[in-house]
Amino acid sequence: MNALEIRGVKVAYGARPVLDGVTLEVPLGGFVALVGPSGCGKSTLLRAVAGLTPTQAGEVRLFGQPVQGCSPDIGFLFQEDALLPWRTALENVALGLRFRGAMRETARAEAARWLARLGLRGVESRYPHELSGGMKKRVAIAQVLAPRPRVLLMDEPFASLDAIVRLLIQQDFLRLVQDEQLSVVLVTHDLEEALLLADHVAVMSAGPGAVITRVYPVPFPRPRDLVGLRGDPAFGALARAVWDDLQREVARLGWEVPA
Amino acid sequence: MRRAGSLLVLLLAWQGAAEAHWLNPLLVPPPTQVAKALGALFQNGQIWGHFGTTLEEALGGLTVGIVAGGVLGAAAALWPPLAELLQPAMTLLNAVPRVILAPLFIIWFGIGVASKVALSFLLVAVTIFFAMYSGIREVDPRLVDRVRTLGGTGLHLVREVYVPSVASWLLGSLKIAVGFAFTGAVVGEFVASSRGLGYLLSFAQSTYNASLTMALICLVVAVTYALFAGFERLERWIFRWREGRPTPARVPLRQRQDAASRYAAEKTP
Repeated sequence: MNALEIRGVKVAYGARPVLDGVTLEVPLGGFVALVGPSGCGKSTLLRAVAGLTPTQAGEVRLFGQPVQGCSPDIGFLFQEDALLPWRTALENVALGLRFRGAMRETARAEAARWLARLGLRGVESRYPHELSGGMKKRVAIAQVLAPRPRVLLMDEPFASLDAIVRLLIQQDFLRLVQDEQLSVVLVTHDLEEALLLADHVAVMSAGPGAVITRVYPVPFPRPRDLVGLRGDPAFGALARAVWDDLQREVARLGWEVPA
Repeated sequence: MRRAGSLLVLLLAWQGAAEAHWLNPLLVPPPTQVAKALGALFQNGQIWGHFGTTLEEALGGLTVGIVAGGVLGAAAALWPPLAELLQPAMTLLNAVPRVILAPLFIIWFGIGVASKVALSFLLVAVTIFFAMYSGIREVDPRLVDRVRTLGGTGLHLVREVYVPSVASWLLGSLKIAVGFAFTGAVVGEFVASSRGLGYLLSFAQSTYNASLTMALICLVVAVTYALFAGFERLERWIFRWREGRPTPARVPLRQRQDAASRYAAEKTP
């Protein structure tokens, strides 16, 4: 059974079509990266799946069941950390648990465990402005994972981090995905990141009215060596193939981002 | 501490200049004489009645202004047609010095307490209206998405996102509103009244009593400053999560108004 099935999803902003029948499957425990020209509607697709943007047609199925609105089984990690600035790290992580009706003390204890799992012991009572960019990202990951979603949507979550912090967080993140048996959809503009983290890379066509043109399997075994893998000839060949495909999509736009 | 020190130096210099007869004591009485006038005001006890009247007017205008401005601002933010309807009037009221309406209010509401409450109400309500309106409009949509995807519903959104974001706009404006409330009351009394600190001021001025005038000015400044400082402490405590960011009160009114007109422009084709 698939964790997530997106079938013929159409989204339009007014008269302008953004997604024109997108179909994508994420197997149980699968990790799909979504790449495409900027402005093609990758983020819109995630928002539609999460129930934040209304769809005009098509359906989203979660473990075989159609979803409407925001599902508690779906976690969403945004590009910006979007932590509540007036809540401490611990309170931020406890938020999702509290919304689901957990008692205050239970939620706080669980949140503390999640912060510890992300290597953040001792920052519980700090406010977001007192945390570094990498720490904020870790708090955001803990916040999203604490309510135990089964599917995780990620919209360029690591884009804002510097290279070293990004690598460390990516390593820890992959371990968590495996431990929690999460099924993941990752939107990224970073082709290398897509190939390093995912086991399928889906290429989206240029908008307006984007669709998914091709899905490439990424056959590298796990756990992966995120540094060594880059030098693998097979990695280079796959990157070249996906890049050629992407380039054709971008060229269709005449190198212009649609208005 | 330094501020107190520089104030003391200024007072000493002033006193010295007066002792040396460099200043005309009829126009610029020395601090000791102002203090004596201030003491006399409290000694015969008459000041309390006037003080009470002004306080009553200011607090009355403040309370009603906060409620009305807040409700109208929230309604306009949540219901765009109302924003379009109120936009011209509010922009005009925000742009002109509102105290020019004082004589009109005296004609409408008489020389009693009502006209002063009305003036102080108007000053406060417009300020709070824009704070409330901008506060709700400028809520970070990313935080709304964050709470919704974590499973938060309407009530959670209000408690976790809307109330804290709006509070930061509102509390900054509240400090300004306290000052405005006293401005309204005192100016109203100054125009026409039979009681209040503004009335005493007007009396002191008409009898060319510079020391009494200065004593009354000091009193009004002290009261407003005490309230202002109280609000600032409250604000610092409530916003202990915030670091070094300017409070919205320090965002110029013009800019907040821009946020309002930008919104109205978006809505009108």
